[in-house]
Amino acid sequence: MDHVIAPDRRQWPRATVAAAQLASVAGAVLVWETAVRLRVADPLFVPTPSAVAAAVFSGGAETLPRLCDTLLKALSGYALAVVIGVTAGLVIGSRRMLHDVAMPFVVALYGIPKILVLPWIALVFGLGLSTAVLTAALFAVFPIALMVAAGTRDVDPSLITVARSMGATRRQIEIKILLPAVLPSVLAGMRVGMVFAMLGVLLAEMFAGVRGMGFLMQRMAMSFKAAELFAATLIVSTLSIAVVLLLEHVNHRLGRWR
Amino acid sequence: MKILAWRAALLLGALAAWEALARPLSPVLYVAPSRLPAAFSRIAAVNDMPPLGAHAWLTLEEVAAAYALAVSAGLWLGFLLGLRRTVGRIYEPLLAAVYAIPSVVWYPSLMLFFGLGPASKIAFGFLLGFFPVALSVLAGIRQVPQHLITVAVSMGARPGAVFRKVMLPAMASTMVGGLRAGLALSVVGVLVGEILGARAGLGYVINYAYGLLMTGEYAALVLIVGAAVLTIDATGAWLESRVRRWTT
Repeated sequence: MDHVIAPDRRQWPRATVAAAQLASVAGAVLVWETAVRLRVADPLFVPTPSAVAAAVFSGGAETLPRLCDTLLKALSGYALAVVIGVTAGLVIGSRRMLHDVAMPFVVALYGIPKILVLPWIALVFGLGLSTAVLTAALFAVFPIALMVAAGTRDVDPSLITVARSMGATRRQIEIKILLPAVLPSVLAGMRVGMVFAMLGVLLAEMFAGVRGMGFLMQRMAMSFKAAELFAATLIVSTLSIAVVLLLEHVNHRLGRWR
Repeated sequence: MKILAWRAALLLGALAAWEALARPLSPVLYVAPSRLPAAFSRIAAVNDMPPLGAHAWLTLEEVAAAYALAVSAGLWLGFLLGLRRTVGRIYEPLLAAVYAIPSVVWYPSLMLFFGLGPASKIAFGFLLGFFPVALSVLAGIRQVPQHLITVAVSMGARPGAVFRKVMLPAMASTMVGGLRAGLALSVVGVLVGEILGARAGLGYVINYAYGLLMTGEYAALVLIVGAAVLTIDATGAWLESRVRRWTT
């Protein structure tokens, strides 16, 4: 409360904040380790961090190919979703009538939990690659389309009028005005879409997979391999954060180009 | 009016296309819309399916518990991190990093810990609903115009009054948006949990129909649950717009 009322009080420097972050994470790990050692938590369900760390290294041989498998499926579904989502978003966003007619349907489809359709996709496409890829695309396509449509619609029309009155060709307008104006929302949609694509693949693998990280994790949970399960969770989480940070970096670079 | 007509035409066109596509294909895999009314009545017949009412009620209870937990924890943490600057600077990036992880990775661990019963569904619904609530409170606090607070304080308002009369109205619309997103995600979390493995609840009934290749019943259930989710969301949107109008 105090800082809101008197905002210009002394601030911790950035390095101190980072040190505090590290210290809190380390402290949490330490508390966790002692809690399990002292049998406050049952090691059958909650492994010690040291056991998880050991499992990360020992399980690498089994985890790595499955991780690549999952990542490959996520990227394929993501590519599909980006192509369809960006195209649909541009088309819907740039035509007023179409936007008014079609938008409620897109929003409704976005709102319905996609997990409901997953059993049907698995039924039609089986237990393999295509189910996971399609689920990833299904999860990612609506947020991308919605964000691109919103961005396209918000392009300032006076910019186009001015450019046209100065004699710009249609092509010039598209490249010099529309593209930079729409780019931020396309990139934002692409960043959100990646998380959704990962989500879709993992979900499909948990529901109807025979390979991949989702399947592996579900099987570990069923067979009470807590340490391996936590290790797998840690690996997938780290990977997802890395991918998001990478996309953010690309985003930043492209933002500067604009 | 013209737009409404076009919308109806689009919907009918989609249904007709679906019917035309599904007709010649295997009825086990593809359900034509014309088969849906019969499927709806078969769901209601208790001897074909598990009794729907009890399962729907259980799912509703799980959603309510998950959402209540998500809202209380999300508001608490959001205000804690938002109002104490140093704590916020330390923990907000960690919160954002955890939010970037695709949430299903947590589900197997929760299932291991809480078992196949309602507890793991509530835990997952809570986890999904918690983040939008907490993050919207943080975003809302950042939105409060500083000069309003300065003016209020210089006129002698106490911290409590500043909070109630200045901060809450200024951040209300963002916060309500987060509360609405949290509800939608709590519903999704419970449904995901039930479909990935449960012994009761709507997700279980959906899986039951799917497992016995009762595709018509499955499609009807999906439509019912989807419509229910959209109704909940529409109610949330209506409340959100009411709050927006009240604060601006």
